[in-house]
Amino acid sequence: MEVHHSLGTSTDWIVMVIYFIAIMAFGSYFSKYNRTTTDFFFGGRRFAWWLIAMSIVATGVGSHSFIKYSAKGFTDGFASTMTYMNDWFFVPFFIFGWLPIIVYTRIRSIPEYFEKRFSPGTRFLATILILLYMIGYVGIGFLTMGKAILPLLPQDFTILGIHFQTTLMGLVIVIALIVGIYVTYGGQTAVIFTDLAQGFVLIFAGGLVFFLGIDYIGGFGIFWNLLPTTWKLPLANFNNPPGFNFVGIFWQDGVAGSVGFLFMNMGLVMRFMATKSVDEGRKAAVFNILFMLPISAVVVGNAGWIAKAISVAHPDVVPANTNPDAVFVVVANIISHPGVFGFIMAALTAALMSTVDTLLNATAAVYINDIHRPAKKWLTKKVQSFKEEDKQELGAARIATALFTIMGVLAVIPFSAFPTVYEAHGFFHSTLTPPLVVAIFLGVFWRKFTNASVIATFVVGVALMVLGMYYPQPLIQIFDHGTDFDPAHPYTYIGALYNLFVCVFVGVLTTVTRDWQKKIVEKIKTNPNHKSIMTGITFISGALFMMVIFNVASLPILLVLTAIMLVFVVISSNYYSKYSEATHTEGLTVWGIAKAKETFKGSKVNERDGERIKVNWKLQDDADDLMHFSKNDMAKMAADPGDLVYICDVRKIFGGLKSCHSTYGDPHDEDGIVYITQEHIDQGQFVKGKPVTAEMEM
Amino acid sequence: MPSFSNTWLPFIYLYGVGGAFFLSGMILIKKAKAINFQKKRHRYWWNVTIFGYFYFMAIHVLLILAALYL
Repeated sequence: MEVHHSLGTSTDWIVMVIYFIAIMAFGSYFSKYNRTTTDFFFGGRRFAWWLIAMSIVATGVGSHSFIKYSAKGFTDGFASTMTYMNDWFFVPFFIFGWLPIIVYTRIRSIPEYFEKRFSPGTRFLATILILLYMIGYVGIGFLTMGKAILPLLPQDFTILGIHFQTTLMGLVIVIALIVGIYVTYGGQTAVIFTDLAQGFVLIFAGGLVFFLGIDYIGGFGIFWNLLPTTWKLPLANFNNPPGFNFVGIFWQDGVAGSVGFLFMNMGLVMRFMATKSVDEGRKAAVFNILFMLPISAVVVGNAGWIAKAISVAHPDVVPANTNPDAVFVVVANIISHPGVFGFIMAALTAALMSTVDTLLNATAAVYINDIHRPAKKWLTKKVQSFKEEDKQELGAARIATALFTIMGVLAVIPFSAFPTVYEAHGFFHSTLTPPLVVAIFLGVFWRKFTNASVIATFVVGVALMVLGMYYPQPLIQIFDHGTDFDPAHPYTYIGALYNLFVCVFVGVLTTVTRDWQKKIVEKIKTNPNHKSIMTGITFISGALFMMVIFNVASLPILLVLTAIMLVFVVISSNYYSKYSEATHTEGLTVWGIAKAKETFKGSKVNERDGERIKVNWKLQDDADDLMHFSKNDMAKMAADPGDLVYICDVRKIFGGLKSCHSTYGDPHDEDGIVYITQEHIDQGQFVKGKPVTAEMEM
Repeated sequence: MPSFSNTWLPFIYLYGVGGAFFLSGMILIKKAKAINFQKKRHRYWWNVTIFGYFYFMAIHVLLILAALYL
């Protein structure tokens, strides 16, 4: 395989350094809007849809996409677009189900949802799985950044007389240091604004590669005719080769990946929490999937298509055996002039940074919310003021970010064993997402899904998935749709179908048998030694789990042991947790969104449609935390005292950055004036003399 | 000419199995009353979700036809 080094010129490096400094300065400017941990993590629930939609582009596109989709575009053609064009099937579930739930329940992390919906124990298990998922994602991001930058560097170099060999891991460590420092001090508002800028730059840079590439080849007609027909098809061959086939990628990416991305990617979920309302979140999601994803598919994959066309016409320029993961960098270098190449590379690496910083910020949010706060509550009884506590949490969040950065670097080691980033990411997705995806999905859309069921899905589902890894034949083979077996990387993609199936099977089986489980637990409770019995059952469950994990027996025996474990796990879960369908589902499933909305507001929801009005603000003297509009203005907004109001600087270019939420107070008689408090002014960073728009939320 | 498993089989599978997920989502949110057809905004989003399904289907049909016949 052809390996490249020292691509680019000194002009390119200068452009890259300037770009990085500019983008970091841009993001750091917005870190002043982080007044509390809510701002640090969620950006304060105030942004307009277009701002969030564009910042999601940078997160989605930046996530290792240029490298991995250019690689697949080179080896497999336009089918590299598949993963960007198969997300729509779960949009109804997201925009009408999960999105309103995460906003109205005011959850700060996915594990917190698990505690509200199920139990603290479930939250603990979900936290472990989510952190593993996110650290793995950070690792994939670092690996890709390393692979992107490596071709630009010399094979070895000397600084101050010390000789250095350029290695992937060494480079990853340097990148991690830069990313870690940036996100540690930036926070979510900085991340959103950095991503916003990069969203535009990325689309431009990817488009630039396409147009320069077409120009290099001699026009679109020549490009089109150079490509073989199979390269031009938008969907891969149904079931082969094992390294890239339609059916495997449908289940791995279209189902597990799409649900995982929309429902459990904390980075993305936090973006939607930063929108000013559910409706703005819907706009951002729909705009992103309908328009930005197809554009992104072209932007990220076209370097591979261009490389293929060049390799057909000029095999001496791009040899057919070029390392697929280096294709983007190689093509960008060939088709662009010095400086332009530097800009494209800066956009690429900065985009990768966007993904990683979003994930690190989200991982720190999970840590603070699901480990730091519960642990602190348990360990100390000292009462702190809100400000003291918030300051301490901000410090802890920054330390956590640094630690997760280190773990992300360590995660690079196993991923680097895969032939391409695409395969590493595919395996990662099909392995880690199914238990969480199934648990969240059934939890949100099935009221009867119980606490015992979700614990069984996590524990027994994972055990069955591990068995699938040890015994891909026959376990995954049953689901392979005719995909060939590759002993080095067995069923990289279609393994997701098996994993989803076993998790759904465990979840459904344990839900439909919940009445029997309760009867068994009641019977055990009548025994005077019930505590000892249950301790034994729990201990045996743990021992059985370890036996499966370490593959200590043959497949039939391990399957029997897993069945016994399933029974014991649901009995333990029912015995130890206090779960009631009535209290644990209210406002937490798609069946109770109206109730969730009412809880969010704290009173009956005002469903009338009002106008958005423009008013001038004045500082009010009294100490209430309400906003006071005139009677006529309130009538225009169809608002009553006690309803929720959102005011925003009239300049749309800020996209809601200068805005805040509050509650309507009693009206006055001065039309066109709103009385607000100093706290509102600080939150919204409103400028004296600049009017604001106001609208009734609910 | 590429085989059926290269062209239309993946397309049928994508919009058949994917369509089953999509349809079940639409039925579920309607049954759960997560969507309120009295509200203009909700009716709008309902129509947008249906449009999106056929929009992606049309893009894939056009791309397959272009690959095969242009």
